[in-house]
Amino acid sequence: MASIADIGVASEPVRGVRTIDHHPEGFNHRPPRYYLLWLMLPAILLLAGISLYPLIWLIYMTLHEVQLAPGRPDVWAGFDNFSRLASDKKFLRGWLTLFKYSALCLSVEIGLGVLVAVILNNNRFEKILVTIFLMPMMMAPVIAGFLYMFLYNGTFGWYFWLLQSIGLLEGGSILGNKFWAMFAVVATDVWQWTPLIALITLAGLKRVPQEQLEAHMVDGAGPFRNFFSVALPNLYPFLLIAILLRFMDNFRFIDHILIMTGGGPANATKILPTYLFDVSFKFFELGRGAAIALTLLLLTILLGLVLTKVFEDPTRKIRTEREH
Amino acid sequence: MASREIVRYRSPLRSVLQGLSVLFLIFFFVWTVLPLLIMVVSSFKDLLDAFQLPEVGDFGGVGVMFDFEPTGAHYVELFTEKHFGTYLRNSLIASLGSAAVSVSLGSMAAYALSRAEFRGKRDLLFWIISTRMAPVVAVMVPLYVIFRSSGLVGTLPGLILAYTTFNLPFAIWILKGFFDNVPYAIEEAAQCDGCTRWQAFRLIIPLVAPGLGAFIVLCVLFGWNDFLFATIIGSGGAKTLPVATAELVQPVKIQWGMIMAAGVVTTVPMMFLGLLIRRYLVAGLTMGAVRE
Repeated sequence: MASIADIGVASEPVRGVRTIDHHPEGFNHRPPRYYLLWLMLPAILLLAGISLYPLIWLIYMTLHEVQLAPGRPDVWAGFDNFSRLASDKKFLRGWLTLFKYSALCLSVEIGLGVLVAVILNNNRFEKILVTIFLMPMMMAPVIAGFLYMFLYNGTFGWYFWLLQSIGLLEGGSILGNKFWAMFAVVATDVWQWTPLIALITLAGLKRVPQEQLEAHMVDGAGPFRNFFSVALPNLYPFLLIAILLRFMDNFRFIDHILIMTGGGPANATKILPTYLFDVSFKFFELGRGAAIALTLLLLTILLGLVLTKVFEDPTRKIRTEREH
Repeated sequence: MASREIVRYRSPLRSVLQGLSVLFLIFFFVWTVLPLLIMVVSSFKDLLDAFQLPEVGDFGGVGVMFDFEPTGAHYVELFTEKHFGTYLRNSLIASLGSAAVSVSLGSMAAYALSRAEFRGKRDLLFWIISTRMAPVVAVMVPLYVIFRSSGLVGTLPGLILAYTTFNLPFAIWILKGFFDNVPYAIEEAAQCDGCTRWQAFRLIIPLVAPGLGAFIVLCVLFGWNDFLFATIIGSGGAKTLPVATAELVQPVKIQWGMIMAAGVVTTVPMMFLGLLIRRYLVAGLTMGAVRE
C-alpha cells in the first residue's frame, strides 16, 4: 500500500527528536470513522439482535396474554399485567425478600472479605492462600447448591451434624425451616463469593499509600486507628464496586436457590427472580412474567447508571496511579 | 517512595491481634475447603459409607469421613448409563462456541470503540454494559418466546446464542479497556511501514493476546457454569452438565453419590482454568473496574 510519496513524507529529515504524545495531527491522524464502523458493526448488530429485539418483544408481551400453543394469537390485555402486579402479594414480597437476601449476603460478605484481605495482606502465605480461597468461585452455582443441600441434609449432612453438635439446632430440618432456610441460602452465596470481595479489597489495600501509613504510625497510631483512618478511606471506591457487583449478581444468579429450596418453605426464600422463574417457566404465564421482568430490568438500568459513574472515576484513578 | 518495610514493635495488643488473625485464617480456610473436600470424598464413597455420621456431639468421631473403601462406581455409572460424555460435549461446544463468537466479534468492536470518538459513544457503552448486567431470568422470558418460534429451543446454536447475550457485552467492555492501553503510535508506525489499517489491527493483536486468551477462558467459564439458560433454552436436545446434574434428582431418591461425582466432573476443569488465568481473574470478574 505504501507509495513512494508516502515514504517520502515519512523520511523527510526531522530536526531534533520528535516525540509523539498522542494522536498527532497529520495524514495518519486516526482511523476514519467508516472503517471503525465496519469493525464495530457485526458485534453491535448481533448484540442488538439478542438484546434490543427481545426487549421490544418483552414490551409487546407485557401488553398481551401470551399464548404458547401454535396457531392461537396473543390476546390484547392492555395494562392488565401491570395492574395485577400491584395487588400481587407474592410480587411485593419477592422484592422485600430480594432486598433482605441481598442485605444479608452483602453485609456478611463485606465483613468477612475485608477481614480476610486485611489479614492476608503481606502475610507470608498470601499467594498460596489466595489461590486456595478462590476455588469456590469457579464452581457452578448449581453444583454449590447441591453441595450445600448435601451438607444440610437432616440425616447425613455434615453441617447439620455440626450445628446439632454445637447445640444450635434441635433436629428438624434446615432447608425446611422458615427461619433457617434463608441463612442456609445466604451461607452458600457467602461461601462462593466472599473470596471475590477479599480479592477486590486486597487489590485496594495494595494501593494504600505506604507514606500515609508510616506517617500515621510515627504519630503513634495503633493497628485499629491505622485501618479505620488510613486504609478504609482508601478502600471506599473498591468496596463500592464490590457491593454494586455483588448486588447485581444477587439477582442475576438464582441457581442455588432454585436447587436448594425452590423459593420455599412458605416463600421464605422466594426472591423476586425466583418468583419470575416460577411465573414464566413453571406456570408459563408469560405476559405476567414479562411485566415482572420489566420491573427487574428497570432496576438493572438504574444500577447500570450508578455503575458506569462509579467505574469511570476510580478506574481512571487506579490506572493512572499504576502507570506512573 | 517510602520503604516498604514498616518496623513493628511487639505490644500486647498486637500479639493478641496476631493470634486472633491466625485463628480466623484457620477458620476461613476450613470453611472454604471443607465443602470441597466433602464433595470429592463423597464422590468416591458407596451409598452406605456416604451416609455415615458420628453421633451428635461426638467430635472425636470425625474420622468416619475417611473411613471407607474408595470406589469409582459413580463415575463409571455417570459416563456409561447417564451419558455424561454427551453432556460434557454439549457443555464444551456451547461454552466454547459462545466464547469464540463473543471474543472474535467483541475484539473488533472493542478496538473500534477504543479508537473512535463519536457522539453517543457513552450511550452505546452504557447499553453494552447494561445488557451484561440484566438478570438472566428477565432476559430469558422474551428470548424463550423468540427461540421457540424459530425452533432454536433445545439446540446447541440456540444455547450458544443465549450465552452470547452475556458473553458478547462482557468481551466488548473488557477488551475495550485492554485496547485503551495500547498506544495508537504502534499502529501509526505500522502504517508508516506500509501496513493497511486491517494489518495494523492484526499487528497489535499479539500485544493483547494474553488478555484475549484469559477472557476467552472467562467466557467459557461463564457459559459452562450457567444453569438457567441451559435448563430452559437447552432443555431436550442440548443438555449441559449442570442440567444433567440437576436431573439426577429423582422423586423417589436423590442419587447423592452420582451428584457429587458430577459436581467434581463439572468443577475440576474450571478450577484449573481459573488458576491458569489467575492474573486476569479479578479484572474479569469486576468488569475491568479493579486490576491487581
